[in-house]
Amino acid sequence: MSDRSPVPNAPEGGSPPAGPSAPGLPPGPAAPVGVIHDIGYRHYDGARLGRGHATAALTVHSLRGIFGLGRPARAKIIPFGLFGIMMLPAVVSIAIMALAQQRGMAYPGYAVALQPIIAIFLASQSPYAVAPDLRFRVLPLYLSRPVTLWDYVGAKLAAMTAALFLLLAVPLTVLFVGELLIDMPGAPLTSDYLASMAGAVAYAVLLAALGVAIASFTPRRGLGVASIIALYLLSSGVSTVLAAVMESVNDYTAAGWAWLVNPFFLVDAAVQVGIFGTEPAAPGAYPGGIGVAAAIAAVLGLTVLSVAALIMRYRKAASR
Amino acid sequence: MTILATEGLTRSFPRVTALDRLTVTVGPGVTGLVGANGAGKSTLIKILLGLLPPSAGSAQVLGMDVTVQGAEIRRVVGYMPEHDCLPPDLSATEFTVHMARMSGLPRTAARERAADVLRHVGLYEERYRPMGGYSTGMKQRVKLAQALVHDPRLVFLDEPTNGLDPQGRDEMLALIRRIGAEFGISVLVTSHLLGELERICDHVIVIDGGRLLRSSAIGEFTQTTQSVTVEVEEGQELLAARLAELGETVTAAGRALLLQVRAPETYDVLRDAVCDLDLCLVRVEQGRQRIEDVFKEPADV
Repeated sequence: MSDRSPVPNAPEGGSPPAGPSAPGLPPGPAAPVGVIHDIGYRHYDGARLGRGHATAALTVHSLRGIFGLGRPARAKIIPFGLFGIMMLPAVVSIAIMALAQQRGMAYPGYAVALQPIIAIFLASQSPYAVAPDLRFRVLPLYLSRPVTLWDYVGAKLAAMTAALFLLLAVPLTVLFVGELLIDMPGAPLTSDYLASMAGAVAYAVLLAALGVAIASFTPRRGLGVASIIALYLLSSGVSTVLAAVMESVNDYTAAGWAWLVNPFFLVDAAVQVGIFGTEPAAPGAYPGGIGVAAAIAAVLGLTVLSVAALIMRYRKAASR
Repeated sequence: MTILATEGLTRSFPRVTALDRLTVTVGPGVTGLVGANGAGKSTLIKILLGLLPPSAGSAQVLGMDVTVQGAEIRRVVGYMPEHDCLPPDLSATEFTVHMARMSGLPRTAARERAADVLRHVGLYEERYRPMGGYSTGMKQRVKLAQALVHDPRLVFLDEPTNGLDPQGRDEMLALIRRIGAEFGISVLVTSHLLGELERICDHVIVIDGGRLLRSSAIGEFTQTTQSVTVEVEEGQELLAARLAELGETVTAAGRALLLQVRAPETYDVLRDAVCDLDLCLVRVEQGRQRIEDVFKEPADV
């Protein structure tokens, strides 16, 4: 029977490729070269992994979508353009450190200084994470598979959080590595860097929850983009005007509270200044004592509220 | 072997009762689920996928209870929805691979299966282009591919021929037949055209207003209600009279005659009658039986 064991290792490669000499050879009896198989339909009896695997795959798929990877070239322009702008201050600061031995951008002030860029990224990309699945009705396909609605929502939130974290953490880390390599006089600002990384996590979580929740309420991407940008402009405008008015009447405590209306200053006050004790990045000081607790509570509260709204929204979308 | 079974299955929404004490059993092979729009077909599929709890009664898919084992059912069942469900900026390959991974296939297996299945449904070079530019026929094929990619034991196909031209319809129907016969995957396919299902199904279930109207093997349907439409240039009455004389059942339907087919000999009788009367035959067409025809008959035929 040993002579009847044809191509024992072939199955995992599909049909064996025809050898280059096959067409020229006469069909000899002992030449099983270049046989073409009509393999027909093959059943799958390999591994079927669980929900966790599927959720992770969905998170990676969404993260790739947010950066336009695996999508047409025009989907990459906005995310990578904004990412490039986020890198600029880090590159310029490294150049200043190298040439003039002076520090450029401070770590905790990075996110606040670049807040319009982060807000534009959030506004343009968080609808990309959720709106197409609603608009093109892909959601029922996900739900017809083992993943649950909560896995889906969790994966989308995780993807947006990871995208925002990368947007902030990469330039901060590049800047820190640059500082270490240049070997500035004095100790490196490691604690500032770590505080800003903790801040980046908080920024990513809060902004992703807000952005995805708002974006999920409309299947139209343009509307989602406009709503998030409008909310950012409103909060930063109100915060600036209120603070200016309060400062003009010399009420600096009230002005400190007014800064907290802007989510970027809120996270700065709660995490970077409140927990890690860095210098405030706002033009004025934040309220101390109870103000820190209030800022932390506001960050957590806003995140929880957004996630709750998101869950409510999807419960309704799934029942359609 | 029973693929799925429902027992007194009822689902009420605040305003309507979508399913009303439905009791059916489905065996392996291709089963057609026929009903007008709003008859409860999509609601039934949602319940069978474990996505919608029934108000009363019970249902089993592949021996698993839909209310408690929904996730296990969804691992081994495929679903092709009636509506569009394809993101336009992804290619068919990326999308199908992604959907395979959502069903729990590891990355390499997902790629292999996606390539295989896309080939089986008839998508070749175009599968690397974004799906936004696809024709309706190609979109239907991708929708079918994503339902098959994880090699399910049963697929639910909701109106797979919707929006297709006659040729696309024929190809889709042939593909469904292959899935049931060659791939060995049981199929539950819905349509509102009984005529197209009778070509591919082993068994047909007719529901209306959430109630079971009929559930029987396909042979019983075709035997009782097969008809041909005959159109002649002039002398329609003459032909009708001659056919009636020869013992056939003929009814006038506008400019055409509807002839009941008793047996294959009916066709010979028709041919001879037309020849004898020397009439100009315009068309002879196999009757496309519609859901209404079933409603006209008593449900217990």
